[in-house]
Amino acid sequence: MLEFDLHDLSDDADYADSMQQGSESMTRSGNSNRNSSSEQVGAEIVYFKDNVAIHPTQHAWERIRGRLKLIKQGGSLSMTWIPYEGQSSSARLSEKDKSLYTIRAVPFSDIRSICRHTPTLGWQYAIVVLSSGLAFPPFYFYNGGLKEFLATIKQYVFLVRSAEDANIFLVNDLQDPLQRTLSSLELPGAVSVANSPTSSIAPSKSSFSRTDGEALDKNSAVIQQNGRQRQKHNDPRHLSIQVLEKFSLVTRFARETKSQFLREAQGDGFISNAMKKHDKKTNNYSSVVESNDVHKPLEDVHVPANSSEESSCEKHNKNEEAAMRDENLEYDYDKLSLVWGKPRQPPLGSEEWSTFLDSEGRIVDSQALRKRIFYGGVEKGLRKEVWRFLLGYHSYDSTYSEREYLASIRKSEYETIKNQWKSITKEQAKRFTKFRERKALIEKDVVRTDRSIAFYDGDDNSNVKCLRDILLTYSFYNFDLGYCQGMSDLLSPILYVMGDESQSFWCFVALMERLGPNFNRDQNGVHSQLFALSKLVELLDNPLHNYFQQKDCLNYFFCFRWVLIQFKREFDFEKTMRLWEVLWTHYLSEHLHLYVCVAILRRHRSKIIGEEMDFDTLLKFINELSGHINLDATLREAEALCICAGENGEACIPPGTPPSLPFEITSMYNQQDDDDIL
Amino acid sequence: MPSRRRTLLKVIILGDSGVGKTSLMNQYVNKKFSNQYKATIGADFLTKEVQFEDRLFTLQIWDTAGQERFQSLGVAFYRGADCCVLVYDVNSMKSFENLNNWREEFLIQASPSDPENFPFVVLGNKVDVDGGNSRVVSEKKARAWCASKGNIPYFETSAKEGTNVEEAFQCIAKNALKSGEEEEIYLPDTIDVAASSQQRTGGCEC
Repeated sequence: MLEFDLHDLSDDADYADSMQQGSESMTRSGNSNRNSSSEQVGAEIVYFKDNVAIHPTQHAWERIRGRLKLIKQGGSLSMTWIPYEGQSSSARLSEKDKSLYTIRAVPFSDIRSICRHTPTLGWQYAIVVLSSGLAFPPFYFYNGGLKEFLATIKQYVFLVRSAEDANIFLVNDLQDPLQRTLSSLELPGAVSVANSPTSSIAPSKSSFSRTDGEALDKNSAVIQQNGRQRQKHNDPRHLSIQVLEKFSLVTRFARETKSQFLREAQGDGFISNAMKKHDKKTNNYSSVVESNDVHKPLEDVHVPANSSEESSCEKHNKNEEAAMRDENLEYDYDKLSLVWGKPRQPPLGSEEWSTFLDSEGRIVDSQALRKRIFYGGVEKGLRKEVWRFLLGYHSYDSTYSEREYLASIRKSEYETIKNQWKSITKEQAKRFTKFRERKALIEKDVVRTDRSIAFYDGDDNSNVKCLRDILLTYSFYNFDLGYCQGMSDLLSPILYVMGDESQSFWCFVALMERLGPNFNRDQNGVHSQLFALSKLVELLDNPLHNYFQQKDCLNYFFCFRWVLIQFKREFDFEKTMRLWEVLWTHYLSEHLHLYVCVAILRRHRSKIIGEEMDFDTLLKFINELSGHINLDATLREAEALCICAGENGEACIPPGTPPSLPFEITSMYNQQDDDDIL
Repeated sequence: MPSRRRTLLKVIILGDSGVGKTSLMNQYVNKKFSNQYKATIGADFLTKEVQFEDRLFTLQIWDTAGQERFQSLGVAFYRGADCCVLVYDVNSMKSFENLNNWREEFLIQASPSDPENFPFVVLGNKVDVDGGNSRVVSEKKARAWCASKGNIPYFETSAKEGTNVEEAFQCIAKNALKSGEEEEIYLPDTIDVAASSQQRTGGCEC
């Protein structure tokens, strides 16, 4: 399971070919290259590839092409990716946009792994994951060269392939054992000394500051001794911040809007000034703030119903953000979010539900339905019917008879897939390790999933068996993804609500279309959400962001459980179902759960900062919040934050971040077993 | 920070899913066993005060998810560990065979300063199951493996019955302390000369 292959590349014919190609292409433009990078004293370009692109969004015209290089300097290898200048095909992208993504020199000692994707259709791409847990956006190799890229890296650093997933290569830079030793001790000066060979190619922008003044002094002393500047950039902690900055559309946005905003605000109580844009609808906002009446105001502001309101909301958001960027004004911002947040409504009942349906059973206004559920959830007895729409098992415009027909088809499809593993004989299973292992893992987990709920209680509970059957069937339906811990947590409430095995299965399938990447072998789904969360906290609670940065907590691993299973372990069973149906409406955002994270963190911000929690204490604190989170209050706060953040918030969330539907379904779970590459 | 090394001992429990990592931790810290533990998602830890001679230490015991797919989190969780506990289920050959992988993965991710001498302790858990009749990994086999990996201390435990759990964690704590002290050599301004090194001869079944 955990075995690693050490691949000897020398006897791989493909590898030899690719190396030959590599050296040819290098000779072709090697000269000009070296001239242009003459500042890199002693640096040798050991690989470069043109037309390696990143896709910041799904729009083709926003793709950014550039050159990927591997640079060897001293004993260490670094990677750079520089976008082309004046690229005509992307005229709509400013140079500034492109430079945001520029990767100047990342030493491989800061890289944790490289995940290779080789879809049958489309370009090959690689995702580089840093030691901090953050990842660069995927690099698409338009002209090929991914294999060669990995092969070159293999020459200079210790590259290990996980046998479990042939597409993941763990980077373990053992070139400099001293560095590893010293950095594991967390000596402030050690990192700088060890990394000094790469310092001259480090980027120049620095915003990282440490609170530990003494350590910083030591650090600078080392810098001066070596006669080098900008040493701090090689601090791995700094690196993660650099990375964050690169993707920070938000920062740019703030810069651009701030000056305009300040002109408008002219220094007097600009939050209320900004809010005046809303006053068309809401009368006097300032008086609302003063009276502190949390229930009265702004019912309509929350959800812009038409485009003119939307644009005023956007404007507001820009101003809002500029306000947040200004430290002096955080207090006002806090106040604002406290005032916002619509009171929760009673859950949707069957009488009201019937008003959403036409005579043939179509949902006429799905937007209105989703809005209604967003604010109140669904009554228990009605969940079975409504969840099928929310999860996407039924489409909103289907009729009663269409749904009935679909259900019967789906039922037999389910039985077919289920029979695939049901028909495996004992003899067959003996020779089918993967099946046995999956089955064992699932069986271990279903007996410890929600057993305190009466529905799953007791020995030989048939519902527990049903959980097992569905999960095992799913692992055949999606063999590449298989089974991963956490799935049983997601399935359990669905089976509880649906009752029916086949329907539960298909609802689970629909949910996994969105959350499947959470369970990928490289965990990229969770990592991208945690990355987006870090950006959202930076946007919505800058002091907390600064605190996490200072405490080296920007990987947000302490929120891992929240994100992986959508707060399943944080609320009781009933509350979890309420939260999920609200999240599944995707009403204000597909990513409301991330705003829920921000809301909870913000609520405890003063405690977190006041008690100077470090990573460990924070993780413990977050884990122990389980069962103590007020759902309604949190949802209101999350809603307010989501509206406040507006499009700036959405800009924090890279396209394709779960639960958004992935755009490359074919390669989503590509976990090839082949051994073609190294 | 300077005093952290000397008072906080960080221990990581690793092993396949369902071998009883959470149960062992809870049995040791809370003296409780439950059949209702959920599969661990992410990581969590419990702390317990332990005393050696005149000094008080906080043992911070980290419980992690057992599915190997979650290992990308290891970098963050294993950092600064003083001892690593490898757990297998004596009724599952696979969980025993995987010990080596867990050990190697730990060394890669935690990258301790002295991997050769980093303290591990191996626990063969669930010895109570079926009165030992379903056991598939013999003690001899387990001890042989431990011996081959630099004489790793080995205990056979039952988290359910509480068998040997206290003894195992005593040994774990001692080994963690050793490891912590050795690292202090690199931190001259924080070394506590008074810290006795007599624990090194502590009575683990090494």
